Amino acid sequence: MITKINNINILFILAGLVFVSSAFIKPDTDASYILIADQQTDLQESIARGKEVYTEFCVQCHLATGKGNGDIVPPLDSSDWLEKKKTESIHAVKYGQAGEIIVNSKKYNGTMPPMGLSNEEIADVMNYVRNSWSNKHSKMITVAAVVQVKP
Amino acid sequence: MAFLPDGSLLVTEKSGILYHVQNGLKTEIKNVPPVYNRGQGGLLDIALHPNYVKNGWIYITFSNKEGVGSNTQLIRAKLENESLTQIQSLYKCEPNTAKSHHFGSRIIFDNEGYLYFSAGERGEHFVNPQDITRDNGKIYRLNDDGSIPKDNPFVGQPKAKEAVYSYGHRNPQGLVKNPITGVIWEHEHGPQGGDEINIIKKGANYGWPVVTYGIDYDNSIISEEKQKSGIEDPIYYWLPSIAPSGMTFVTSSKYPDWTGSLLVGSLKFQYLELLKLDGYKVISRQKVATNIGRLRNVTEGPDGYIYIGVEGKGILKIVPNK
Repeated sequence: MITKINNINILFILAGLVFVSSAFIKPDTDASYILIADQQTDLQESIARGKEVYTEFCVQCHLATGKGNGDIVPPLDSSDWLEKKKTESIHAVKYGQAGEIIVNSKKYNGTMPPMGLSNEEIADVMNYVRNSWSNKHSKMITVAAVVQVKP
Repeated sequence: MAFLPDGSLLVTEKSGILYHVQNGLKTEIKNVPPVYNRGQGGLLDIALHPNYVKNGWIYITFSNKEGVGSNTQLIRAKLENESLTQIQSLYKCEPNTAKSHHFGSRIIFDNEGYLYFSAGERGEHFVNPQDITRDNGKIYRLNDDGSIPKDNPFVGQPKAKEAVYSYGHRNPQGLVKNPITGVIWEHEHGPQGGDEINIIKKGANYGWPVVTYGIDYDNSIISEEKQKSGIEDPIYYWLPSIAPSGMTFVTSSKYPDWTGSLLVGSLKFQYLELLKLDGYKVISRQKVATNIGRLRNVTEGPDGYIYIGVEGKGILKIVPNK
């Protein structure tokens, strides 16, 4: 008899713990879990779409390695210009780039034509470039940020 | 670029604007068809009928903007009061695709009055270039009114695109007539290391993507073979690729050292390349106008001067140092 009662008590206490712990932790954990997962998915999806854009519009000059081409085409991999000048980078993809720029202490004075990309495609290809080769940026470039960049 | 008989110049801008340049002033021509200005698409080439003085026909290629996606279209029209009139569609490559690259295009007339124009393979290299029942990756030959010459090489073959004159091309953006021999010369963008100069022959296969001197942009192998029987070998290929755009033979006496040579623009390396020739052989290469910018087109004007079209800059004239 005693044993039986004890068992019931133990089960009851365990159940209470489970209930209490889940009631206590659940809302917080689930909420933040969903948020991180969504951001990751959005960024990963944007990067995947951006790869397609890169292959179609950028690879001929900037190459599959993102290393650029000689004295004309600056690198995208480990580029201090891309790193420091986010708005200018978006502007270059959106409206084209002309005039002298200095990337990793080297002067470039080539011309990149505007590609006619949509704001979504610009955000995607930026996210791809910012997360390829040795580049890593968990903060994604949003379409809204691209919209804000004016001529 | 096309020079009118009065020495003024018609200039296409990729964005879709056609300019009439007179005495250093440019006027925008009205009624130009809307173009698909995306990636490599846009307003492409312009050429005058060899007998323009009499008939007034102007030929234009562009990336069509009807429906979904786009493909290369050839029209002819007349110029009246700075506006295009009597527009006729002569050829439209089918089907449209949403891809933004490899439209071509250049237009040239040969000595017999046939019109040739190029259309790139639209990024479908395993589908289009080797199939004569499909458009794209082709050089086309038409009569000046758009009808198909009866002696075109694939006339009468089942389902063939009978306007096709040669096939197996990737993205030709250079097409000229050798002013001495009348032979049609072409150049095309290859993959990495595979840009080519070809002599265009009736019904010939130029090999893309069965054979190529280049590799793909992700460094993958497209074909192990560079040559194959039944496939025309280029007379020259660029390694590394220069991204050739525009081409002209120098005939004028303004540049004595250049006479008989070929000039080709480089989009990628942003200069003009002078290729000295011995018949069909390239014997030397020289950089002209180094770092000038993305060079889209080069032509010799009726005044004997060389004119180049540079992205973001405009049309420049090359004046020799005295």
